[in-house]
Amino acid sequence: MAVRYHRPLMTVAAPIIVARDLRKSYGELRAVDGVSFEVAEGEVFGILGPNGAGKTTTLEMIEGMRPIDGGTATVDGIDVGSDPQGVKARIGIQLQASAFFDELNLTELLVLFGHLYHVKAEAATLLAEVELTDKARSQVRTLSGGQKQRFSIAAALVNDPRVLFLDEPTTGLDPQARRHMWGLIAGLRERGHTVVLTTHYMEEAETLCDRVAIMDGGKIIGIDTPGGLIDALVGRGFRREREERLASLEDVFIDLTGHELRED
Amino acid sequence: MRHRFEIFWHLFVASAKMFIRDRSAVFFSLLIPLLIMLIFGVLNFGAAAQLNIAAVDQASTTSSAALVATLEQTPGIDLSQQGLDEEMSLLENGDRALVLVLPPGWELLPPGADGYQPLTAYLNQAQPQAGQTALLLVNAVVAQSLIAAGGGSPEPLIAVQEVEGQNLGYIDFLVPGILGLTIMQLGLFSVAFGFVQLKRTGTLRRLFATPTSPGYFLSAQVSSRLIITLAQTLILLGVGLWFGVQLVGSVVVVLALALLGAIVFLAMGFGIAGWAKNENQAAPVANLISLPMMFLAGTFFPRDAMPDFLQTVTTYLPLTYLNDALRAVINDGAGLDVIGTDILGLAVWAVISFVVATRLFRWE
Repeated sequence: MAVRYHRPLMTVAAPIIVARDLRKSYGELRAVDGVSFEVAEGEVFGILGPNGAGKTTTLEMIEGMRPIDGGTATVDGIDVGSDPQGVKARIGIQLQASAFFDELNLTELLVLFGHLYHVKAEAATLLAEVELTDKARSQVRTLSGGQKQRFSIAAALVNDPRVLFLDEPTTGLDPQARRHMWGLIAGLRERGHTVVLTTHYMEEAETLCDRVAIMDGGKIIGIDTPGGLIDALVGRGFRREREERLASLEDVFIDLTGHELRED
Repeated sequence: MRHRFEIFWHLFVASAKMFIRDRSAVFFSLLIPLLIMLIFGVLNFGAAAQLNIAAVDQASTTSSAALVATLEQTPGIDLSQQGLDEEMSLLENGDRALVLVLPPGWELLPPGADGYQPLTAYLNQAQPQAGQTALLLVNAVVAQSLIAAGGGSPEPLIAVQEVEGQNLGYIDFLVPGILGLTIMQLGLFSVAFGFVQLKRTGTLRRLFATPTSPGYFLSAQVSSRLIITLAQTLILLGVGLWFGVQLVGSVVVVLALALLGAIVFLAMGFGIAGWAKNENQAAPVANLISLPMMFLAGTFFPRDAMPDFLQTVTTYLPLTYLNDALRAVINDGAGLDVIGTDILGLAVWAVISFVVATRLFRWE
């Protein structure tokens, strides 16, 4: 039997996010029902779960976007409940439906967002990071879906945040744009950003995340590295009914259509 | 403090920039009022008080020609002399108040005289007022001609003394009304729609994700709209002057009134935008407030023409206070003593709107 060792990262590095028994109710509905987890500095942490599992509500409480009913959350040592603005100043947020002012171009928007953090945003550098240099003078409404998502990551980076929260960053994107986004997120991790993301795509979680939490009904029902979760399932005697094929249909699709982005 | 002002300033500049770049906002706040001014100003409805009267001279005598010439020179009469059939059909269409026929062989003679023939006047039953007025006028002209022909004095029976006064045309009435109307529309609509859209699309939520309090954005939006209102008022007033409006009062007072009016309607706009979830909820409410006022607050037509009870009710509308005050300042150069009541009325409306808006406002 294979013994899995935890990565040093998880035990040595101080947690940058600590959530303790977070709770949020809407009337009778317990949207988030006692969620606790830690995220280590520099890791990519994924929250998986079906629609309505409480992923977004959990993120929004930690981000200081939604009042916390019960429990506590700290980000970079700051308590969200008592200093939400302090937390917001240290993090970058990509919302699920990110909309920006229609009448301003990308450069103007990034500069304006910089002012909201009281920093001087390097618009050109940020746009280069998400490969939107040639769209510097365009308006958001003229961008493709993938470009919009990339721009909202650029906007989340204006304050050089300690932690980046990405809520379903690849939902609605075509396979090429999704893979492109994966590359971008991997790059953010390499540059030392801690990333917390939610997703519906298991392949995405497996590729990107150091650890994942699986949520359902407002609770975390599993939390480990993707490999650890799979090993545990296999250890309980689970076997796929069908032999694993060597390639998936998505591999075929990418092979036939190429990695090139289709958005211009 | 400096830090706070900087954030406000950047949001203010961005808000103003967004407003100016929004084509529909510019269209409604500047082009539409200019268009209304142009249409009403050029047509000059107020001056169209001439009576359209037709004379069909079948007599062709010296005295018939003389009568037609007198009619032509009479002030208030716009005389037309086409054939009987044409004039009759124009009368039926309502384009003539009266058609006067001078029958063959007609001479200017007193009734009962040898060879006397009456003139015939055709009136349109559907327009009794214009017809009767035209008839009185024509009667007077004929009687006067008869007196003159009989050797009587050509002087009129009533001596007229004209008093010098301001010659206020319809454009003088209209321009202050258009100013009031556009101040209302900008306050109600630019906010009710623009802000609700930011709310619905999640743009506002994205701002909440930053450490800057949403109050900054709200105050930047309000102040940018106030400045835009002042600019808009100056532009429209300038065009009005070019159209010949007489500006008797002070521009500063006009701008102060514009500011006060803008505060009232911006508070209403933010109340609607804060309450509504989307544009479909905001539109009917904004229209419900603006449409009746557009017609009842004396924007295009004086309220004197309305039934008494309606005049009483509409006295208290915010747009009535604004229109009346603007008109008093622009047309008569009124001071605080005259427009004090209007300012008080606007102030009360500002307080009411502000209280209601803060009660209804929801960020999400």
